[in-house]
Amino acid sequence: MERLSVRLARAVLSYRRLSLFAIVAVTAFFALGLKNVELRTIFTDLLPKNHPFVQTYTDHPNFGNPLTVTIMVKRKDGDIYNPETLAKVWDLTRDVDLAPGVDHDQILSVATEKARYAEATPDGIDSRPLMEDHPPRTAEEIAEFRSRVLKSPNVRTFMVSEDETATLINATFIERLLDYGETFEYLDDLIANARDDNHEVYMAGQPVLTGWVYFYQQQMFGIFAITAIALLLALVFYMRNIVGVVAPLITSIVAAIWGFGFVGWLGQPIEPLIMVVPLLLVARSFSHCVQFTERYYEILHHVKDRRRAAELSLSVMMAPGVLGITTDALGLFIIGVAPIPAMERFALFCGFWALILIPTNVFLTPLLIMLLPKPRNVDRMVGSGNPESGYRGIRILLGLIGRLSIGKMSVLTAIGVATLAVVSFGKVLDIKIGNPVEGSNLLWEDSEFNVAVANINAHFPGLNTLEVVFESKSPDTLDRVMRKAETVLTMHRLQHLLESQPNPPEASLSFADYLPEANRLFSGGNPKWAPLDHNDAAVSAAAGALMVGTGPKAFLHVADFEQRNGTVSLWYKDNKQETVDEALFQARAALEIIGTEFDDFRIRLGSGTIALQQSINDTVDTYQWVILALLNVVILITCSYAYRSVVAGVLLLIPVNLSNLLLGAVMVEMGIGLDVNTLPIAAIGVGVGIDYGIYLLSRIYEEYQLRKDMAAAILTAVTTTGKAIFFTATIVLIGIMPWYFLSELKFLADMGLLLVMVMLINMIIALIVVPLLVWLIRPRFIDSKKLLVSEGIDLSALSAETDAKAAAPRANAAEAARHREIDLNEMALARP
Amino acid sequence: MRIRKYDRDFSRRVFMEKSLKGIAAAGVLSPLWPEIAKSGTIDKAYPDELLSIELYTKGQVKPGDVITADNVDVVKDLLDPIAYRQVKEMGRRINIVETTRDVTKLFPHEYLEATLRNAGRARFDANGNVVTDDGSPWIGGNPFPNAQTGEEAFYNLTLSWGRHDESVYAVRDWDISPNGTLSYQYDFVWAEQNTVGLVAKPSPYQAGAEDKLRYQAVWFTSPTDARGTAFLNTWYYDQRKFPDLLGYLPAFKRVRNFPTNQRFEPLVPGITIFLSDAWAAGDPMLTWGNYKVVGTKPHLGAVSGNWTGKTNANWEREVHGGPNGQTFFEDYKELIPEVLVVEAEPTGYPRAPVGKKRVYIDMRNMMFVSYLTYDRRGEIWKSFEPAFSQYKDGDAAFMDGGHPLWSWTHVHSHDVQSNRMSRFVQAKQITGGFGPEYNIGPSIYDRYLTAQAIRRFGT
Repeated sequence: MERLSVRLARAVLSYRRLSLFAIVAVTAFFALGLKNVELRTIFTDLLPKNHPFVQTYTDHPNFGNPLTVTIMVKRKDGDIYNPETLAKVWDLTRDVDLAPGVDHDQILSVATEKARYAEATPDGIDSRPLMEDHPPRTAEEIAEFRSRVLKSPNVRTFMVSEDETATLINATFIERLLDYGETFEYLDDLIANARDDNHEVYMAGQPVLTGWVYFYQQQMFGIFAITAIALLLALVFYMRNIVGVVAPLITSIVAAIWGFGFVGWLGQPIEPLIMVVPLLLVARSFSHCVQFTERYYEILHHVKDRRRAAELSLSVMMAPGVLGITTDALGLFIIGVAPIPAMERFALFCGFWALILIPTNVFLTPLLIMLLPKPRNVDRMVGSGNPESGYRGIRILLGLIGRLSIGKMSVLTAIGVATLAVVSFGKVLDIKIGNPVEGSNLLWEDSEFNVAVANINAHFPGLNTLEVVFESKSPDTLDRVMRKAETVLTMHRLQHLLESQPNPPEASLSFADYLPEANRLFSGGNPKWAPLDHNDAAVSAAAGALMVGTGPKAFLHVADFEQRNGTVSLWYKDNKQETVDEALFQARAALEIIGTEFDDFRIRLGSGTIALQQSINDTVDTYQWVILALLNVVILITCSYAYRSVVAGVLLLIPVNLSNLLLGAVMVEMGIGLDVNTLPIAAIGVGVGIDYGIYLLSRIYEEYQLRKDMAAAILTAVTTTGKAIFFTATIVLIGIMPWYFLSELKFLADMGLLLVMVMLINMIIALIVVPLLVWLIRPRFIDSKKLLVSEGIDLSALSAETDAKAAAPRANAAEAARHREIDLNEMALARP
Repeated sequence: MRIRKYDRDFSRRVFMEKSLKGIAAAGVLSPLWPEIAKSGTIDKAYPDELLSIELYTKGQVKPGDVITADNVDVVKDLLDPIAYRQVKEMGRRINIVETTRDVTKLFPHEYLEATLRNAGRARFDANGNVVTDDGSPWIGGNPFPNAQTGEEAFYNLTLSWGRHDESVYAVRDWDISPNGTLSYQYDFVWAEQNTVGLVAKPSPYQAGAEDKLRYQAVWFTSPTDARGTAFLNTWYYDQRKFPDLLGYLPAFKRVRNFPTNQRFEPLVPGITIFLSDAWAAGDPMLTWGNYKVVGTKPHLGAVSGNWTGKTNANWEREVHGGPNGQTFFEDYKELIPEVLVVEAEPTGYPRAPVGKKRVYIDMRNMMFVSYLTYDRRGEIWKSFEPAFSQYKDGDAAFMDGGHPLWSWTHVHSHDVQSNRMSRFVQAKQITGGFGPEYNIGPSIYDRYLTAQAIRRFGT
């Protein structure tokens, strides 16, 4: 009875046109979905949705101002109190009001009407904008403006720096109307034009960060193009024939159409940052294709018949190919367990793409090989032609590597590997969670954005906040909890407790902070009227007074539109993990004292950059291990089944986990911590490693089945399949390397660096540790003849058969017709 | 028999020609205002196609029909862009009624009489204010019933908001959030007394207040935390001057002066209406500029059949649409044969977030039926859409003296950028027992329009 893979191989190649038509039809279907493909960042989708901090943020998105852009105008040679600077602030403020998607009611600077100076006079409340209807021009006007600023405590703290050299313009955007790219382009032009010899202008905020990512997208695609060209050149250089270049190219393009078409049909946007992984999948597609063509060359070298070689290659490579791809895909799907929507979409998109490499790669490659002209350099490719060939050099190198795993060297190698594992384990214990930088880790420390964040943080309470949210319990939408005495007093108590700590926050702000001043002004102006009576009527009256001539939109950063929920905002000097830990510790300790459940409201910790950063770190910390554990389980099950041996599963898991351990150690050495960007790396690394392991183990098995000589089997496997591994790892390295050197997006550079390390480590470990383990353990499955993963081929038998045929040209037509039916059976018989 | 010449295309050609030439003269077949003066109807001024929605839409829509997302495209050219979007995307319904041909149903009786009586007597003085031919302040009614320019049309709106000498409106307001829930709800009283241009008094001027235009107060009666909060505006006749603004917050026991030039802020928390939005002419006229007529066209406007006195004891309305089925009032619109579309820019406000306003004014009575504001980028920001009606429904009526009341019934004010809706009705009674009062004479001043009065209501 023929194996399924043999029958399938024969069917696919016997019905070539039907097979090709099916692939073309499916490709056309997915191509129709391409028009719906959208690259878009959804900020909230980058957050772990199940984390209590993120849930707090989702319920109260306005606290912490994620949609606010902050522009700082800094006078280089003096303070802001001069006509030129104040006119610049006025003009910038008016121009920001023209930005696409801006909420006209939420623009705040010293030039807007919302920045007010208020004073009680005998005639009433003298509440005027800090600036009149034009920016101050004369010395008197500037002096008056400055005195108004000094009398306005909130402006003094949050709008004008302590050294009086800088001032802020804050603008909040309406998410529904916000096109990050368009808005960023507009604002970036604005601040570029506002800079001059005397002024530096900085811009920060989440919309700006996203804008920068969009901006670098073009560069990213440029780098991807370099990668694609590098991959292609490597392929051309290595293969030097049409089949070897065109087949991987077409299969990768078809896979890309299927992958992108799939998300197009799903109607889900693709996060631009994860585009690095599809590119890696293209490289993986190349890799699988190269594994296949390498094997095809070997067989073709012996059988001399394209059709037969393709069929045999498919039957031989199908099982390890399908197994490798399936484990790859499962690894990517498993990333979806991390409850981060962008990761879930990533897992679905990339997992699907990886999985479709089965039809678009495993089956399409032999079909293309049949269509394309027979390569002329097969002898050289398999290293048996020109002795000067560079391929011989690779074989020699691989032969040396192979010898590390056999004979007496195996003991030394084992000791070396074990030592490396122990050292790595010790290192990995020091790995940090998170990569805190001032600003965003997506960009370089000296990027314009991060420099802007650093400068704004240096002059103002800053951009790193922890939001402690006070949330109404009442279902009545008209029950305004923020206007109640208990809420306001509790807010004040919390602020007092936190600001009394040894390391207090840089500043704190709540809705409650605004009320005493309103109370004072409307009570006649005497400071003695500032404190609020401890009853709802007094608090509500002060809140009512606060709203006169303005509206709840002016206070959305501290209380929601309906004034049912509010926040205590706490500013911290940076977002280093020590600061984050201290901030959360202090907040939790204060809430222990105050309590979190009240009659009308509950207190939730928390939101803001500090809490959201921690939520990502918590998730990474947990799910990094969950993903790794699940990957191990899945690989153990699939590989144990394929090789009919749990030992085989374990044997394959050891090198991939060792690689992961080494990667961790290297990250510690390089000062890179675990974060959301590294989350998929482990899965990708394990996918790559397991591929190499499967191909290599299968080849060792095949060779052992033929020779019953473990040392020879290992050496042959390492010098043949190992060569394909070496080549595929190398071309991916060549392709990815430019990311690190060329990208202004640190994320891409980091990913590039990590992926280079992943490919390198996995290649080395696979080539050394898999043969070593087989040599040392001598697993029983190696002797078994009932594995799913391999259909052994006796290449020398094939050669002999071909030679015999060449020597007997009289072979008649009837024999030729029978040829197709018997060839694979012959292979089975040829096995010892 | 219909004269083919006067088909829909003929009207369109006429409107297009008028728009291109910047002509604002009302009427298609003959000048409107002489026709109104002569017959009290508009029949001879417009072809049948502009007097019947059924003929205009070639039978696709007729009185009694309801405009929904399914058929709104038929009347798309008769709606402003926001109203169209509300119907098309947000589930709003519009009931269609017959076109009002009898203009006496589109005015308060005395105001129409004054308009007819004083037609042709309005002039602009050197400062841009409207005066009579003898240089006195205006003497009542629309100063420019047949307005030719944007300025003339806007003076018709500005000089008398409610078109009664004295008006007290009891207002119930609901503010709906983008997700369709109720964010705020207010009951408040709005009182206005004109001091010039009086139409129901022997003299057009209130003695001693000829330099003023009006007194206007608003005070809140509900909810509890807003009860007693009150503001009093004193408008000057000189439209270059900002009104005086006094405010009273009961908890603080003092009447205070407030800054009055900040007119692009909401009146109270949660409401989408700015001071600037009142009656589409909430600012002194000459603090805006670049008035220009941008077109004339037929339009769907809520100007009749909107009083619910017979079906709802408190004159409130059914609601529908939006995410929670409560974003829009049920209302009734008719085909207005001709509206004047006028734009103006806030030239006197260097910090205005508004770029321009566009107002659709019914040529028959020179009252606005739709008002849009645009931000400085030219994107539509808000729509303020009033509904008017004669307060008469069969045998039920509410009188403003000797005649059925003509007034506004309800308003939709929609900030489309933040997608917040404020909608309010003129109710028969609101919290505190206040109800509508009209033409009540000078007593309105002492009762409602002084510093003592607004303080009294807060106690």
